[in-house]
Amino acid sequence: MSSENEKLYKKRLTRIQNAINHEPVDKIPCIYMGVAFSPRYMGMTQKQFCMDPAVSMDVTIKAMKRLGDGIDGINSMAFGMITMGLTAMWLSKVLTPGIELDDEALWQVAEKEVMTVEDYDFIINNGYEAFFGKMLPQVCDMEMFGKNMAWVEANLTTIKDNYQSAGYPVISAGATSIPFEALCGARSMNQFFFDLYRIPDKVQEALEVCLPFIIESGKGFCKAAGVSGTWVGGWRSASAMLAPDLWDRFAWPHIKKICIELIEDGITPVLHWDQDWTRDLARLLELPAKKCVLNLDGMTDIRKAKEILNDHTAIMGDVPPATLAAGTPEDVRNYIKDLVHDIGPKGLLLCPGCDAPLNTKPENMEAFVAACNEFG
Amino acid sequence: MENQVKTLMAELKEEQVLALVKKQIDDGVDVNEILAACQEGMISVGKKFETGKYYISDLMMAGEIFKQISELIAPFMTTENRSSAGKIVVGTVKDDIHDIGKDLVVGMLKSANFEVTDLGVDVPAERFVEAVKETGATVVSLSALMTVAFDSIKATISAFEEAGLRGKIKIMIGGGPVDETVCKYTGADNWGADAQAAVTIAKGWLS
Repeated sequence: MSSENEKLYKKRLTRIQNAINHEPVDKIPCIYMGVAFSPRYMGMTQKQFCMDPAVSMDVTIKAMKRLGDGIDGINSMAFGMITMGLTAMWLSKVLTPGIELDDEALWQVAEKEVMTVEDYDFIINNGYEAFFGKMLPQVCDMEMFGKNMAWVEANLTTIKDNYQSAGYPVISAGATSIPFEALCGARSMNQFFFDLYRIPDKVQEALEVCLPFIIESGKGFCKAAGVSGTWVGGWRSASAMLAPDLWDRFAWPHIKKICIELIEDGITPVLHWDQDWTRDLARLLELPAKKCVLNLDGMTDIRKAKEILNDHTAIMGDVPPATLAAGTPEDVRNYIKDLVHDIGPKGLLLCPGCDAPLNTKPENMEAFVAACNEFG
Repeated sequence: MENQVKTLMAELKEEQVLALVKKQIDDGVDVNEILAACQEGMISVGKKFETGKYYISDLMMAGEIFKQISELIAPFMTTENRSSAGKIVVGTVKDDIHDIGKDLVVGMLKSANFEVTDLGVDVPAERFVEAVKETGATVVSLSALMTVAFDSIKATISAFEEAGLRGKIKIMIGGGPVDETVCKYTGADNWGADAQAAVTIAKGWLS
């Protein structure tokens, strides 16, 4: 690492840690997140990005460099074949550019009912790992999955170092989530939600069986990557999706348990929550203070989050993907200006909501970085 | 006396309401009365959603129950006794294969008595135009979960303009990332944050 990048890295890392700890910052951290945007911004096809596990990290770092000095770090580090990672997390088939889709298309989840209602008993009797092994061949090309896993195992420990050498701290590596999300993907959302009403006890029993394995996998991956944080993702388990009694029973207890176990192991849970979680934000007060990051996508009321959580949990977000794709640079600038005014300066990390989409206008991403420099 | 189907439907009591519908059919109760009670129950579901008592999972379950009841009474319905609140063409736009939100909109619109033509997913612009010509629908509902599909929405709306139909129809859009910015970007007439909003917007246009 060059001495200049080393200095930058330390300065940026301190900035990020201070933001998470609700301590004063010299500048509100500007955090990058643009998985599919990076290759497009750098003139690479989505096919190449998805098919070659070695290129995703390089093209992401190049995109961050091209966007200038304002970026302080990356939300979640890219590595390996993105479609394989998503398949493992959602247990759904992910259509891939260059295979089922055009070379420049964005990958898409082709969700269908792979898991049957009888598979709840399979999980209860055999455990999550056996269930994962049963589902995987139904939703992905196992040869490709093996190739990707071999690459990840051989390279995982060096990925963070590459970001660090480029001067960028990595906030989270990999993604874990509650068993709800994986089974929802495997069963398909409609069927899984109906199961919550029809056979709630059976679903709960299966979810409880899945949880320990999922927690240990998340911890293991994070430690192997040498990164101090990991995503605890939430999509279908969002408050807006679930009736309160279902959320209280099937979502929150597992979110809480995962977070507490990660924190006990010195890992920062990054609550990467898509959709609207406003109703249940106060539940985060049950977690230890200043140990998590709440990463929102523009759908949760971020101002309400600040009001409720105040200096308890740092907030990262949340320029909406729609604004980045369909808005103007002025829209982005105004969004950041208002965010800093209303949420900052302490306990805030500025970031695209969820993930800057493939069709983010380059001028909008550049406006995001410029606005972070101007107002942060 | 109020038909109990309404209450059981509104409370999402799946087994009980299906059993009751079967019994009423066997007892010779007019299927129009059963359907009306079921639709009134769905109106209650919609109100509970709008007032924050129900959530997406409840809407999905309600849609599932309504679908099963519709299947039970379908053999006894005749063309003459089917009323319609209006015709709507629905689909997920080109290059987007997501169907969950679209299907929820279809279910909610059907339960509100709209005649829905569901074109499925990854639907080319010209197919939407053809469907409007074929059905005479005056409302089009376009769904998109991915931001890359915003341009497909735009292209679909342009196709209606080129076909000289834009002034004759109203277009609403919806899906995860859709908001006011997207509505302006695409030139749609309105957008909805959820399936119940689709019903409210359609009723506003077609009443």
